Amino acid sequence: MSAARPALTGTDFVEQRLRGTGTTDWRSWLLEGALLLSLLIALGILIVLVGDTLIKALPIFSERPIEFLTSIVSARPERAGILQAIIGSLTITIIVAVLAIPIGIGAAIYLEEYARDTRMSRFIRTNIRNLAGVPAIVYGLLGLAVFATVLRLGNILLAGGLTLAVLVLPVVVITTSEALSAVPNAIREAAYGVGATRWETIRSHVLPYAAPGIFTGTILSLARAFGETAPLLLVGSIAGTFNFVGPPWEQAFEGYTTLPTMVYHWSGYPQDEFRALSAATIVVLLGVILLVNASAILLRNRYDRKW
Amino acid sequence: MLTKRASGRPLLSLAMVGSLVLAGCVTSSPGEDDPDESGNGNGGAGSGSVIISGSSTVEPISSIVAEDFAAANEGFDYEVDGPGTGDGFAQFCDGETDISDASRPISDEEVTACDENGIPWVELKVAVDGISVLTSPANDAVSCLSFLDLYALVGPESQGLDEWSAASDLAEELAGELGRDFGAVNTPYPDATLEVTAPGEESGTYDSFIELVFEDIAEGRGTDPVARPDYTATADDNGIIEGISGTDTSLGWVGFSFYQENADVVKALEVDGGDGCVAPTTQTIASNEYPLARDLFIYVNTDNAAENESLAAFVDYYLSDEGIAAVEESSYVALTPEALEETRSAWEGR
Amino acid sequence: MTASTDRLSRPLAPSDLRIAGSRRHRENFIRVAFLLAASLSVVISVAIVLTLVGNAAGFVLQVDLAALWTDGWFPRRAMYDIKTIVAGTMVISAIAMVVAAPLGIGAALYLSEYASTRSRKLLKPIIEILAAIPSVVLGFFALAWISPNLVQAIFGAPLFNMLAAGIAVGILITPLVASIAEDAMHAVPAYLREAAYGLGARRRTTSLRVVAPAAVSGIVAALLLGVSRAIGETMIVALVAGATGGSLFNINPLDQGQTMTAAMTALAIGSDRVRGAELTFESLYFVGFLLFVFTLGLNLLSDAFVRRVRRRY
Repeated sequence: MSAARPALTGTDFVEQRLRGTGTTDWRSWLLEGALLLSLLIALGILIVLVGDTLIKALPIFSERPIEFLTSIVSARPERAGILQAIIGSLTITIIVAVLAIPIGIGAAIYLEEYARDTRMSRFIRTNIRNLAGVPAIVYGLLGLAVFATVLRLGNILLAGGLTLAVLVLPVVVITTSEALSAVPNAIREAAYGVGATRWETIRSHVLPYAAPGIFTGTILSLARAFGETAPLLLVGSIAGTFNFVGPPWEQAFEGYTTLPTMVYHWSGYPQDEFRALSAATIVVLLGVILLVNASAILLRNRYDRKW
Repeated sequence: MLTKRASGRPLLSLAMVGSLVLAGCVTSSPGEDDPDESGNGNGGAGSGSVIISGSSTVEPISSIVAEDFAAANEGFDYEVDGPGTGDGFAQFCDGETDISDASRPISDEEVTACDENGIPWVELKVAVDGISVLTSPANDAVSCLSFLDLYALVGPESQGLDEWSAASDLAEELAGELGRDFGAVNTPYPDATLEVTAPGEESGTYDSFIELVFEDIAEGRGTDPVARPDYTATADDNGIIEGISGTDTSLGWVGFSFYQENADVVKALEVDGGDGCVAPTTQTIASNEYPLARDLFIYVNTDNAAENESLAAFVDYYLSDEGIAAVEESSYVALTPEALEETRSAWEGR
Repeated sequence: MTASTDRLSRPLAPSDLRIAGSRRHRENFIRVAFLLAASLSVVISVAIVLTLVGNAAGFVLQVDLAALWTDGWFPRRAMYDIKTIVAGTMVISAIAMVVAAPLGIGAALYLSEYASTRSRKLLKPIIEILAAIPSVVLGFFALAWISPNLVQAIFGAPLFNMLAAGIAVGILITPLVASIAEDAMHAVPAYLREAAYGLGARRRTTSLRVVAPAAVSGIVAALLLGVSRAIGETMIVALVAGATGGSLFNINPLDQGQTMTAAMTALAIGSDRVRGAELTFESLYFVGFLLFVFTLGLNLLSDAFVRRVRRRY
């Protein structure tokens, strides 16, 4: 604060504080430093991880990147590729999206907008919220028991897709519920005030407000399903080789594999070439997940607005 | 439902449709792998497809054979999975697979299960695998261990023994009781920390190790044939190699192919099963001189083989000189010519 | 987590009272459609719980109850010691929280109070995106880097140990904790900060004495969510904590251990999953049920705490 300045008003004073040009002591520096350090460590470790994987994957990407993406699995590392894994992961994501998202959003809309706040509805909400937190492998176990065994689907992709759809469903319900409950009642009342029915209100007032949150939530849960390993291994994704290649609508009824399954499978071999394959698959997996998440979050940030 | 505010949605739908179309284009282009209607994985009888499951040890061999056969035979579909020998047999005796890979012979319970479901099978030995007992290259003090040594160091009575030397007494006791049937003891052991890293109970390698090394000794001692419960057990064979090479006075065991691939960072110990110290090499394993050799098998559903020409042709190829070369390509030990002849006769006479 | 408005019961729309003709039909149709979706979700949830409980009960009824309190968890030899796997889960979750809580909350505090708006706009999405890294990736990283370079180098532990697994899990959940805590802090109304600055407080005091306490319900929610995720973490512990076939009771983090999730994985993905004692496979359901109960307990705890501490602005 220079002496030439006029006496500060209250707002000026606050502004200066907020900009941090006030007097600071060593404890403040220490705190700020420590906090910044924790941020950098958190980011740093994850960046090291990605970098380390990229280095390990370099042999594959420098020599045969396209072939890697378009070849089928092979017992010989120099020929192996992740075409089937990509199709498998993609098909499963589609199945999960088609099944879990409409049902989940619909259920959340009902629970938030239509159902009365009774003990039953609160119990249901608690139950669903609890299921959203249950570890994925439990769903794998249940998928094995119900889809693969009882429904005799066998080890086809559809069984895996159903398993993951059931896994993702509670999460979609919860995130949609949260987004819907964040809509102020004033918004709804405005619509009712001009004579809209409940559905018309939801469609024209509530959903647009909640859409960014719903959208992000569903995309994030799909991305999570994309990266799941253990449940699918349980339900029968092939950690081996096979030569079926087909479009998603055929793949759904055949033996299948996914990107995380291949990561797991190839890292179990002693030869270094297989570890490189594993690393390269991790790069592809991470790339897709990070890209999808980035798009979702950036889009949400763009469309998020305070009302 | 949504107004023009959330215009990210159409973008995403477009992307998904686009990727679907792309996937369809990529996969329906002509290639060596035109899909066949091979059903939903419940047995491939009657079509040009073969389903193989079972041991993850044998999986690399079967994969290579299947791949090469498919390359030479248009329209041949295969699936080779490796969930484990026991799993493989469970599926095999349920009629779900055509071939079961196995790193051990079929058990009595499994034979009964197959009988009950009317699944006839033939046992074909295809390769030999060894279990290498390993330590760190820095460990000069130990070069040979007998079954008695192994029992003393990692057997059921050794829980809590943290150093090699702590097991010396037990080893002497065993030598006194059981003589030289299971090899001579190599006491005194060095005065160093005993770090054991080896497969856990879920592994077939563990089972084989127990069966070969501990079972008879345990019977003599009246104990349960299991390893001591307090060693570092892991399913990750690569991790075992890392664990063994990482500590100076480590001890562990792993499949021979893993040892071969990492011979520069671990040291294999000679094993004495009662006939002197033998080092694990391709020759000693093939000739069964090395006491920790185990046979690798495939079990074929003979009914399916009769109905499915492709399956029969596939197994023919598997046992041919060209096909069986996959064993060595996978770093396992090939059968001796006599043993291979035996297998071929077994297949012919199914 | 955005701050939600008061949860009134749904306002009664005037049009609920009297809707004419086709609008009413469409309204009913849509309502029924949503009801079906909700019912289906409920049915699925109930089915999940019943399957789990039913099979777990089957296990408990058939098993020799003494097997549930033995020296260690060796399912293939019919030793189903519960305290082993629960202790393993506790140890690893505790280590994970020791890593994630300071890193996560520290990062959140920095982003919320110290970072400029522009860097916040850049860094916050990065952290949220990093929360999506699959655990299988972190598992291999832990084995390849964390365990040899951090744990073994400093403590001389074997390659597979609970400390390395705990650290990896902590790294896994740090973005999650940071993101939620940051949301909570950011949602603290500006006037609280302004009041503090108006009284002459420095940024440090405001952050620690005003913002953090105001956001405490969100911070606690973030931590509890982190714990919940840590407990449920599967691939990292299966790969790094060792003891796949079974483990003795152990709480020393420099040694290997068996968590509930790793026990399930080992049973299900092991080389020979159906071989073993009679109830080996059924024990999977039992452990799954234990996990379910733990998650439920944590959720209820979190609810109760958040409700009590949440302040209205």
